[in-house]
Amino acid sequence: MIMLAAVSLAIGWPAAGAAQPARPDTARTRTVIIEGMRFRPQNLIVRRGERVKWINKDPFPHTVTATDGRFDSHAIGPDGSWTYVARKAGEYDYTCIFHATMKGKLVVLDHDDKH
Amino acid sequence: MKRTMQLLGLALGAGIALAWAQGSGPTDPQIAAIVVAANQVDIDAGKLAERKAHATDVEAFARRMVADHTGVNEAAADLARKLHLTPEANPTSESLTQGGEQNLANLRKLRGGAFDKAYIDHEVVYHQGVLDAMDKVLIPSAQNAQLKALLVRVRPAFVDHLEHAKQIQRSLGGR
Repeated sequence: MIMLAAVSLAIGWPAAGAAQPARPDTARTRTVIIEGMRFRPQNLIVRRGERVKWINKDPFPHTVTATDGRFDSHAIGPDGSWTYVARKAGEYDYTCIFHATMKGKLVVLDHDDKH
Repeated sequence: MKRTMQLLGLALGAGIALAWAQGSGPTDPQIAAIVVAANQVDIDAGKLAERKAHATDVEAFARRMVADHTGVNEAAADLARKLHLTPEANPTSESLTQGGEQNLANLRKLRGGAFDKAYIDHEVVYHQGVLDAMDKVLIPSAQNAQLKALLVRVRPAFVDHLEHAKQIQRSLGGR
């Protein structure tokens, strides 16, 4: 269980257990930190309706741009942030269009999906 | 030409490493000056390339270099103010500045595809040299934890720039 919790944390899964609401909490905001040319967590799994906030801690601009065009933050300046409401279920690979070595993935689960 | 650029890159990285090999490494004020000089050199080259680049990917790369290295220099300046650390010029920072001026003088004579190639070739060796210096001298020598952390935090940007420059270099070779 400890191992599972550790793995969940590392890949940004919502922790399983009693703390999870039965229905999605649309007000909940999940955070991805951009620092050292990385998205942390690199992979994030959210429920449909949740908000995801990317915060840029690097001293230069980045973007959060889905490779399929679903979302695009445009430039997020140093200490800036961008919030996206994940309205459609699916798996979205994203990158920073300024720095192609940066890769991330947002997985949006439908309300009924188990994980 | 390529051989010359490779030698220049080696000289940049090895030069910084060797300059401090005989004694102790640079002090924090000296590291701050080296960081500022290294970034300024690439900002200046990037500004010239923004105006003179022929290929759109070279122009976009130049724009990125100006934005990123300006950001790093602003972060370094903010940290220096916070730490009451005054950058101290030293042979390495002066050599970087001088090398940057020579590069600008060379680039100003070129146009079109020749400019693009010379600019990108230099960017490859410059970023390789700076990474080498960061790993061998700057990061190991930094005494202040926040200064060391800043260097570690921005290092991946130099890796990304190097990969990007190499990718453009390969594509320019095929045009």
